[in-house]
Amino acid sequence: MFRTFLSLRYLKARKTNWIGMAGILVAVGALVLILSIMAGFLEESRRTLRGNLADLVIQPSFQSSVLQENGKWVPMQTDVERMLEIIREDPGVAAATPQLQWYGIFAPDGGESALEKPMQDAIQLIELVGIDAEGEGEATDFRESLEAEFGKKPGLGKHCNVGRPADLDDPFVNLRDQRGRRSRPKVPILVGEQLAYLWGLRRGQEVSLVTATYDEASSKLNETAANARFQVVGSFRSKDNETDSRRIYMDRRALADFLQRDRLWSAVLVKLKDYERDKEEVRARLWSRLHAEGFLSAPGIRINELRTWEDFRATLLAAIQNEKALMGIMLSLVLVVAGFTVFALLSMMVTEKRRDIGILCALGATPRGVLALFLMIGLWEAVIGSAFGALIGVMGAYNIDAIERKLSSTFGFQIFNRDIYLFDYIPAEVSFSGVAWIVGGAVFSTLLFAAIPAWRASRLDPVEALRHE
Amino acid sequence: MSDPGPTLAPSGSQPDPLSEAVLSCSGVRRSFPVGDRRLEILHGINLELRAGERLALMGTSGAGKTTLLNILGLLDRPTEGSVTVAGEDAWSLSPRRRANLRNEQIGFVFQFYYLLPELSALENAVLPAMIKLSRRAYRSSRKEFLDRATTMLTRFGLADRLRHRPSQLSGGEQQRIAIARALLLDPPILIADEPTGNLDRGTGEKVLEILLDEQSERGVALMLVTHDERLAKRCERVLYMEDGLIQADSSAPIPT
Repeated sequence: MFRTFLSLRYLKARKTNWIGMAGILVAVGALVLILSIMAGFLEESRRTLRGNLADLVIQPSFQSSVLQENGKWVPMQTDVERMLEIIREDPGVAAATPQLQWYGIFAPDGGESALEKPMQDAIQLIELVGIDAEGEGEATDFRESLEAEFGKKPGLGKHCNVGRPADLDDPFVNLRDQRGRRSRPKVPILVGEQLAYLWGLRRGQEVSLVTATYDEASSKLNETAANARFQVVGSFRSKDNETDSRRIYMDRRALADFLQRDRLWSAVLVKLKDYERDKEEVRARLWSRLHAEGFLSAPGIRINELRTWEDFRATLLAAIQNEKALMGIMLSLVLVVAGFTVFALLSMMVTEKRRDIGILCALGATPRGVLALFLMIGLWEAVIGSAFGALIGVMGAYNIDAIERKLSSTFGFQIFNRDIYLFDYIPAEVSFSGVAWIVGGAVFSTLLFAAIPAWRASRLDPVEALRHE
Repeated sequence: MSDPGPTLAPSGSQPDPLSEAVLSCSGVRRSFPVGDRRLEILHGINLELRAGERLALMGTSGAGKTTLLNILGLLDRPTEGSVTVAGEDAWSLSPRRRANLRNEQIGFVFQFYYLLPELSALENAVLPAMIKLSRRAYRSSRKEFLDRATTMLTRFGLADRLRHRPSQLSGGEQQRIAIARALLLDPPILIADEPTGNLDRGTGEKVLEILLDEQSERGVALMLVTHDERLAKRCERVLYMEDGLIQADSSAPIPT
């Protein structure tokens, strides 16, 4: 009984113990706050990295045949409707849509547009993406990227002269001319906001694209459709700058016509009902089913044929994860510092309280009881300090944006520059399991540091201790 | 709760020589390392303290009185020899069991009171019970111990000092709290190391009266280290120590 009673009494009576508690409070609070902000930034960055990528992207290698488990080669299937049917049958799939991807460059078009000047100086590879607008909206964030509020964030948006397409549900519609007539048939395109800005594109502007296709029969690259004309009918802004600076969306069939190709698709985008929960399961299921039907090679042979969006960004995501882990480790050193404070304070206390330890022994306390008494002082410091630290950290994380604005206005300079990021608030994401780990770590490390002076106290010779002045 | 201890022996009465020894030691030697040699302080002490006996231990400074007291109080281990408390060879027991013996069988009163400065008078007095009992057991008997300590402190004239910290109390008051603490669990043995050595004469007298009254009333065996001849005269038995040996054992009854 005396351990609990005396440890609490010592804690209350000796103000120096509060320093240790305050140290733990600050360390845990800072750790929770900073890691929450880091997690918020990383989550935002993840979304940014993802851009308009779908949960799963299926890109068959279009080989002539596929080797089955029974050792037989079967011709590779290319019927996208059948493929979509198989995919949509899967219970974990929410939507699937085909996509046709190719590359091209802007072509000079006789000097009537702003394209002429840049075109002479630089060649930029443009990503031509043929989509079914409705399906694309269901399977990716395409629709959201059309709804982006231009002129707000980021800074480039306000210089964009294009803006949303007239009809978000049917974005690939030619614009009417000034007399209300539709202009001669041109292919409507949606350009990335950054691309529009870089090339000075305007709404309604006509551009020419040139590309090369691979002729399988002659094994040659053919320049094609140099004079095909396109009309800018809108722009989009995904969260990924790279995408916005090189991508053009158009109708899938229009792109296939432009490329003069029979095959209308190069990839199928799949959206899952619950990506985080089901991704591996659905991926494995789809792969084995599509392989059995002759659409894909066996799982593991061509790893690029069925990828999650994370596979596309694997390096960057790994870097982010690594950064988070490193930050956690570095910040954990704060806990070690707090632990050292407790160690120093308890060591001092054991020296000061030598006679009390002798008295307790004379009254019948066991060495183990003395050890537990000092461990409990460390435990109270850790539990109270980290509980309040966690509370302050969590409250700080939830209100960090308001706190930053208040501090910025008080001190007269901007602490968080909102122009730099794609988001105009400080993102913070509190993970309660993370907070539990931090609190657990703080308690554990404090106990570890408290164990040394506590052990010293338990080893004191009572006679020597009683002699202490 | 511990046993109330042996039944009362009237004040000043001679202890029965056949009564049970509550504390004894045999062949106790104690030496300490000094440089590369060992300095022997106690050279083989044999001693018995019988139930209800009042024994004074006298001797010159450096004779080994406090060392012997620490060994008999199970705070220090003899280099040789054995100490028996309540029929058990104390140094053959586990540290836990030995600590229990100290808690239940022996009450200490020190020259410098040795109260815990963070606790009130009452809390200091009930500390042995807190050490003895688990949290649950203490919770159920807390009131009983507090009542017992309060009664004792009130009897000692400290009724209005129960909530005071040691730093707010005089030396005499602190020593009275120390006596209450030593007697809380009714131990059969009371060891007092110059209990009045730090007090002025008048206060010392009062404290001594309390100590001796309680001792005789409860029939506790008291072992008292003192330099005070007058105090020694109030004990039934006086041992004189010199150079680590008991040179004289005067068991003659001395009227109080």
